[in-house]
Amino acid sequence: MILTPADGDHGVIRLGTKPPSTTMIPVKGYKQDFLLPDDLAIRIEDLSITYKINVDTKKTLKNAVMRASKGEKVRMRQVEAVKKVSLDIPHGSVVGIVGANGAGKSTIMRAIAGIMPPTTGRIMVNGKISTLLALGVGFNPSLSGRDNIILGGLAAGLTRDEIDSKTDEIAAFADLPDGFIDMPVRTYSSGMYGRVAFAVSVSMTPDILLLDEALSAGDAAFKEKSFLRMRELVKEARTILIVSHALATISDLCDTAIWMHKGRILAYGEPAKIVEEYLKFLEVGTLPSNLEDM
Amino acid sequence: MSAQESSTSRKKSATAPLIQVFEPHKAKTPPLIPYFTEFWNRRSFALELARFADKAEYLESKLGKAWLILNPLFLSLVYFLLVTVLRGGANSKTGLSTLAHILIGIFMFYFAQNIISDGAQSITAGGRLILNQAFPRALLPFSSSVRAFGQFWPTIPTYFAVVLIGKIFYPKTHIPLADWNYLWAPLIIAALALTAFGLSLIFAVMNVYFRDTSKLLTYTTRIWLYGSPVLWKPEMLHGWHRIFIYLNPLGPALAATYHVWIDGVSPSVAELVGMAAWIILSLSMGTYFFTSRERDFAVRV
Repeated sequence: MILTPADGDHGVIRLGTKPPSTTMIPVKGYKQDFLLPDDLAIRIEDLSITYKINVDTKKTLKNAVMRASKGEKVRMRQVEAVKKVSLDIPHGSVVGIVGANGAGKSTIMRAIAGIMPPTTGRIMVNGKISTLLALGVGFNPSLSGRDNIILGGLAAGLTRDEIDSKTDEIAAFADLPDGFIDMPVRTYSSGMYGRVAFAVSVSMTPDILLLDEALSAGDAAFKEKSFLRMRELVKEARTILIVSHALATISDLCDTAIWMHKGRILAYGEPAKIVEEYLKFLEVGTLPSNLEDM
Repeated sequence: MSAQESSTSRKKSATAPLIQVFEPHKAKTPPLIPYFTEFWNRRSFALELARFADKAEYLESKLGKAWLILNPLFLSLVYFLLVTVLRGGANSKTGLSTLAHILIGIFMFYFAQNIISDGAQSITAGGRLILNQAFPRALLPFSSSVRAFGQFWPTIPTYFAVVLIGKIFYPKTHIPLADWNYLWAPLIIAALALTAFGLSLIFAVMNVYFRDTSKLLTYTTRIWLYGSPVLWKPEMLHGWHRIFIYLNPLGPALAATYHVWIDGVSPSVAELVGMAAWIILSLSMGTYFFTSRERDFAVRV
């Protein structure tokens, strides 16, 4: 396990053990041209993400008028979700991200997916991304599982032809009880709902798969099936980033882990070691000794 | 922080790597060619989203999609009662043409209103999609527009059915049923749709920052209806008062609707110019306002 410096300036962290490639892919068409090493799936350069949230307890028109009459501004709080992260993730890496709530795990995943814009820094992604950041995105509870497979697939970026050719396969993977696939998903249990959502996401063949707490879908048998499917994707040398509080999953599935804390990368390295240290932190609430002042 | 371009993705060839770069931006539009290429590539998402939203809405209804016709038909009858019978202005000579004018006017106005109001809510209602998938956000208001068109087109045969039946009872009423000027109709409908879509982009952004926008729109569109040549004829405005038709983004198209569908004449040059001007204005302003703000949506919805 490698701890990052206490001042948070960790330089560029390169995951994996292989030496960096010297073959570069030119990326042109921007204000400046870039070179991206061809072995990298994701390069994050000095990424910070900050956003403002309105902390007014009463967001009423009356309050707004009163405030304006007194010349007061809206009370905003600045949230520094990700702070100066620089990270190189090679193709084929399976990276687990752990950290307490508010550590910036989901924010960094959304930034990699292009959903949340960087405040400073840059993210370069080499490959087709599929995200499973929440279960059932794009789903309509009134529609059947089959209809929602189409909707979920289209939302995830599949074409209609691709979905049509995969619908039966996805339905089979979800392994719902007889007839349920043609019933409205509002009649599903949360486990069944999660199965369909997970099945849609892993039916794609992305170069990069981003999963946020998605492996907790379904019962024990489905979890095992999901795990095996993840293993298949790993074998196909896909790049996978997993955010999970299920630490056993991180240890078993990932080849590298990152521990995020208050928007920074606190430590990275072998998953078992990271998880062990993180568990100690969860139990006693202390950070590794040289980082307590972060 | 430099206000640089936002994200783009490009695929140089089938075998070339797909590289996406995400950079900071302030209120600046993303590169528009890659944006609209992606928009076009993902159009089936918007089309299916519209189709499934319709399917879900009428799934539990006994009358199902018949409501697409019944709803504007009932509304038109209510307005017809208000405008003619209660006002005491109905007679056998003008009754049918007034009904026909209100019918087509209401159908057209509600088409535009549905595009605007559903589009305005599309971003805040699509919060989970916005937070969890990357796609050109303009697809959501576009999907609302597609859905509005799907709800609108069945009202056209309804209009002709009502006029046809009316003509049996009032054969002397002058309302064209087969006329070359109907060739203007697709153009007018397209003008109305494009103008309304541009406005929906503006209202969708406003609704993200100020959630009361969609609620205020309910009342605004009602007043907008009364201020449009739907319940009254365009010729009722004389002299400089006619400017009010052209200050209304939907005014020229609705006035042209009256002339084509009820008078059986072609739209005036002023109406055509007015339609073109409002299309350009609303689409350019809407596209700029929307695309320059859309990457903010993920932290606002």
